[in-house]
Amino acid sequence: MERMQSVHDLNRIREELRSRPRPDVEIRVCSTGCRALGALDVCRDLESEIAAQGLQGRVRVIRTGCLGLCAGAVAVSIQPGDIFYRGVAPSDVREIVEKTVVGGAVIERLCASGQNGPVANREEVSFFKHQMRRVLSNCGVIDPRSLEDAIAHGAYSALAKVLSGMSPDAVINEVIASGLRGRGGAGFPTGKKWQFCRSAPGHPKYVICNADEGDPGAFMDRALLEGDPHLVIEGMIIGAYAIGANSGVVYVRAEYPIAIEHTELALNQAREAGLLGRNILGSGFDFDIEIRKGAGAFVCGEETALIASVEGKRGMPRPRPPFPAVSGLYGKPTNINNVETWGNVPGIILNGAAAYASVGTAGSKGTKIFALAGKVSNTGLVEVPMGATLRQIVFDVGGGIPRGRKFKAAQMGGPSGGCVPAQFLDLPIDYDSVQKIGAIMGSGGLIVMDEATCMVDIARFFTDFVQKESCGKCVPCRIGTRRMLEILTRITNGQGELEDIDRLQRLGEMIKEASLCGLGQTAPNPVLSTIRYFRDEYVAHIVEKRCPANSCEALITTTCSSACPAHVNVPEYVALIAEGRISEALDVIRRRNPFPSVCGRACHHPCEKFCRRGDLDAPVAIRDLKRFASDHVKEIGHPPVWRGPRRGRVAVIGSGPAGLSAAYFLALMGREVKVFEALDVVGGVLAVGIPGYRLPRRALKRDIEYIRRAGVDIETNHPVRSLHELKEAGFDAVFVAVGAHKGLPLGVPGEDLRGVEDALSFLRRVARGKVKKLRGRVVVVGGGNAAVDSARTALRLGASSVTILYRRTRDEMPAIRDEIEDAIMEGVDMRFLVAPVAILGDGRVHAVRCAEMTLGDADESGRRRPVPTGKEVEVQADYVIVAIGQAPELDFASDDGTLVVSRGRMEAHPVTQRSGEGNVFAGGDVVTGPATIIEAIAAGQRAAQAIDVFLGGTGELPPEVPLASRAKPDESVAQIPRQPVEVVPADVRRGNFDEVLKAYSLQTACTEARRCLRCDLEKQETRRHV
Amino acid sequence: MAPDRALTGGAGEGAACTTMGPTDAEVKAFLDGLGVTPSSNLIDLLQKVQGRFGYLPRNALEELSRRTKIRLSRIYGVVTFYAQFYTEPRGRHTILCCRGTACHVKGASKVLDAVKRTLGIREGQTTPDMEFYLETVACLGTCFLAPVMMIDDQYYGRLTPQRAEAILKSYRKGQ
Repeated sequence: MERMQSVHDLNRIREELRSRPRPDVEIRVCSTGCRALGALDVCRDLESEIAAQGLQGRVRVIRTGCLGLCAGAVAVSIQPGDIFYRGVAPSDVREIVEKTVVGGAVIERLCASGQNGPVANREEVSFFKHQMRRVLSNCGVIDPRSLEDAIAHGAYSALAKVLSGMSPDAVINEVIASGLRGRGGAGFPTGKKWQFCRSAPGHPKYVICNADEGDPGAFMDRALLEGDPHLVIEGMIIGAYAIGANSGVVYVRAEYPIAIEHTELALNQAREAGLLGRNILGSGFDFDIEIRKGAGAFVCGEETALIASVEGKRGMPRPRPPFPAVSGLYGKPTNINNVETWGNVPGIILNGAAAYASVGTAGSKGTKIFALAGKVSNTGLVEVPMGATLRQIVFDVGGGIPRGRKFKAAQMGGPSGGCVPAQFLDLPIDYDSVQKIGAIMGSGGLIVMDEATCMVDIARFFTDFVQKESCGKCVPCRIGTRRMLEILTRITNGQGELEDIDRLQRLGEMIKEASLCGLGQTAPNPVLSTIRYFRDEYVAHIVEKRCPANSCEALITTTCSSACPAHVNVPEYVALIAEGRISEALDVIRRRNPFPSVCGRACHHPCEKFCRRGDLDAPVAIRDLKRFASDHVKEIGHPPVWRGPRRGRVAVIGSGPAGLSAAYFLALMGREVKVFEALDVVGGVLAVGIPGYRLPRRALKRDIEYIRRAGVDIETNHPVRSLHELKEAGFDAVFVAVGAHKGLPLGVPGEDLRGVEDALSFLRRVARGKVKKLRGRVVVVGGGNAAVDSARTALRLGASSVTILYRRTRDEMPAIRDEIEDAIMEGVDMRFLVAPVAILGDGRVHAVRCAEMTLGDADESGRRRPVPTGKEVEVQADYVIVAIGQAPELDFASDDGTLVVSRGRMEAHPVTQRSGEGNVFAGGDVVTGPATIIEAIAAGQRAAQAIDVFLGGTGELPPEVPLASRAKPDESVAQIPRQPVEVVPADVRRGNFDEVLKAYSLQTACTEARRCLRCDLEKQETRRHV
Repeated sequence: MAPDRALTGGAGEGAACTTMGPTDAEVKAFLDGLGVTPSSNLIDLLQKVQGRFGYLPRNALEELSRRTKIRLSRIYGVVTFYAQFYTEPRGRHTILCCRGTACHVKGASKVLDAVKRTLGIREGQTTPDMEFYLETVACLGTCFLAPVMMIDDQYYGRLTPQRAEAILKSYRKGQ
């Protein structure tokens, strides 16, 4: 480009560039971030295909910076029409040219998906729709290697405005008025900082662009320098003019080769064009910029350390004051801002402070760029107004959490920041609000964490990071972080003690107080914030030696086995199925869980949620394989029965999953066990709670028979009235597992009308054959499994319509996802955001009056609270089934002081299940409230071990003898998709109580089982190696 | 960062290094070309020397010290402060396994385990055939690709242990 001598030249050139004929079609391909997934191949193939079709000159391929949606790499946008394609591969190129470029048609396969199918227009894609791209407006649009492109899109217009008569003070005042605060993290007002530097005595003065973006998880500065380097350069020139500096430095980390390349190129272009160097645009103002590459030291992001590094020294910080504004680079007044801050400057100058400040919150103006990464669907570069909520960023823009997992926290601000838990999802994010909850805005790294992320491990991770990056100059940071790391490491290894939590807090406060620079002063933040919000995870590691996220290596075997509360050796039995050794597979399951037949059908399978194969395509169908094993082996089989004399008598109250599991393991350990069941059927909730279409009675009977064969004596029709009775009968220990069978009332008028019933009593009556038919309109109140079970049961009994009323929305329903889906398919109507306030009727119910609700801010769990709108509706009903909660019935023991009861539930130690100091143990729903089958089975298993130890035994469960092959799966297994299970069609199944899901065939089961990645072998191998 | 990987133990720890360093004449010729003076920026010079020789040979640092009038101990102070300076030669391909937060929460440690297992080396080591040097890095700034590793200038994103293994095998086969 010619050298421009004046602002007039610049404006003339811009007009010339803009009036040039534009190509018919422009194809923009992200060639920076997406390069790792083949963007340059896509560009090359596009160009050759365009040439082959004779379209040169009419179609332009633009290698742009980041388009934003990194999860959709390679990302492409096409003009006209602003068509957005994601996941483009070289193999798609020909079709794109033929259909879209030539034919103007959209290829739906490559579009982002919306609520109602594919979305072609970029502005309509939810990832973009909820953003406000100001600083990033040219990023992903222009070719960052072309000054012409940049100028045509408005680059250096703000500089032109400044050099056309704005005084330095006027520039500073404009920046002050805009309210811009430093985007590097601390949020100091940028204009003020400039003013200090301008008024500081000394010459020369320097400006520095801090592009040492070292926070793990942050890539905003990288993307901005890669995608629109002239914007940053323009901001620096304006700043230098305002401050009175003639030299500038871009300090960029060496890990960013593309950013360095593009910045270097842009600097050379600007210099040649007269936008940098002597007498910029004929204004008499001299300014030039050089690049300094970092050499890999996180602390160099701290301004005094950065200055030392630019000077060629070790990057060690020094105490402030003096601040760099007074004494910075080479002892001269220096102004340092980060990349994004500089990138905000041209927009402020061009559009004015008022326009800029019209966006944002009271204390934080403008927009903020976030690097969205971690456990979120749409990872990428996001720009939103200050004051946007985490929910908007993570769910609206980010598309939520993959794999149906729950949001746990967002880590903000990197090693200096903290973890923001779900309860703050609706908090408007700005500098001040984030600080209040123990995190910091930081540079904008935002890492989303889900149930599989361990918060203690995250704290350890960041402490490890800062400990390694501590420059070593001051003692609190150098030694304090090391001590913290040691403590955290021992906690994650299962060797922590409860006092460690206090130690960490004390150390953390001390390090914050006494460290020299920002690195040390903020280093404890990740630890302190995780203790503040996730103390229970620390306690689980310490007391239970359990990592709730199934992530800490020392505390887990494989993620699936650890996620299973009963710790069934999943890879072992899955591998045996793959080998066709089905009966041995069943034995392996029964070493830890005597209910393979039940759990193969009705388990909520947490194992699959944590299965690592799920990160590749879909988790192994562990539950279906368990079902297959238990169905395929026709013989019920024989447990490894205790051969010696039985010692120690144990009474188990309740024959549900917890009670029978405890009885089974105790019997295997040689105890004499007697189970007392109040009803005339065995199985508790399994027999009278879960409907037959989910759990056929014969499946339950198989498991019960197996348990009996272990030597368990079960007495039905024997309600236990008091624990005295058992003591007098000579039992040495008691396990209370009576479940939670009392339905909670709504507490509204009209609940005593005929036709109103609680879900548990309804399901029990159906299970006992007391209800054969149901006529009319049934309304079910609630959103849990009991509600969905009742609704589907009512449908099968012939109800003319079944409606579930739930006070929140489908996303918040606690019932198992698949069950909700199945219920809707069968014809259950769901009405959300309604809460009953009265049941109306005249002797008999005829309607439910509901308050209409809306969702407010997050509660403790992160779910949005229902808030009444003030409006009411009436829903007609002939029956109302109330399923809003269950509680244990503890009156059987009211005369006995030995039971420890709190808030209507029994208390028990999480590891031993012991309740109090005596010989009473408790587990299952009576302790936890309504929970899952497998959790109850696990509680029974733990209680059996503890009771055995209490009676003088070892508490050992059946040994895990390895049976399956130790051969690693070959690469071909990656290609096998998850094998579907046959499902009875909705219109057929809604008419009867037959089982809905079919079992795998032998062949399908073996194929599915081969999909297992055998993480168990990997772990053994790594242990051997290192 | 990692100041213990300093003068002696260093990059090739546990792995045999057979490559000879540059001769003094080579070093001098290169530094002549750079035009080193006492006012040159030390970090900039070190980056150029390492760019030329792949690491920072002792004779080059001594020559730098003479020309810049910076004491050798000071130069070593700077060299060992920064993670990206190496005082020992390294393998032909540099593998950087990212351990950034996003990678970490997406299973980077399993990927790193697989790389270590496949190559039979730990972080900071070179394979005996001088083909691969393995290092971990705090964050590559490509969190959207997590978990990610970089081999020389090429990024590999969305890794699983299996994919990482296959990629390393392709390097072995390819060369």
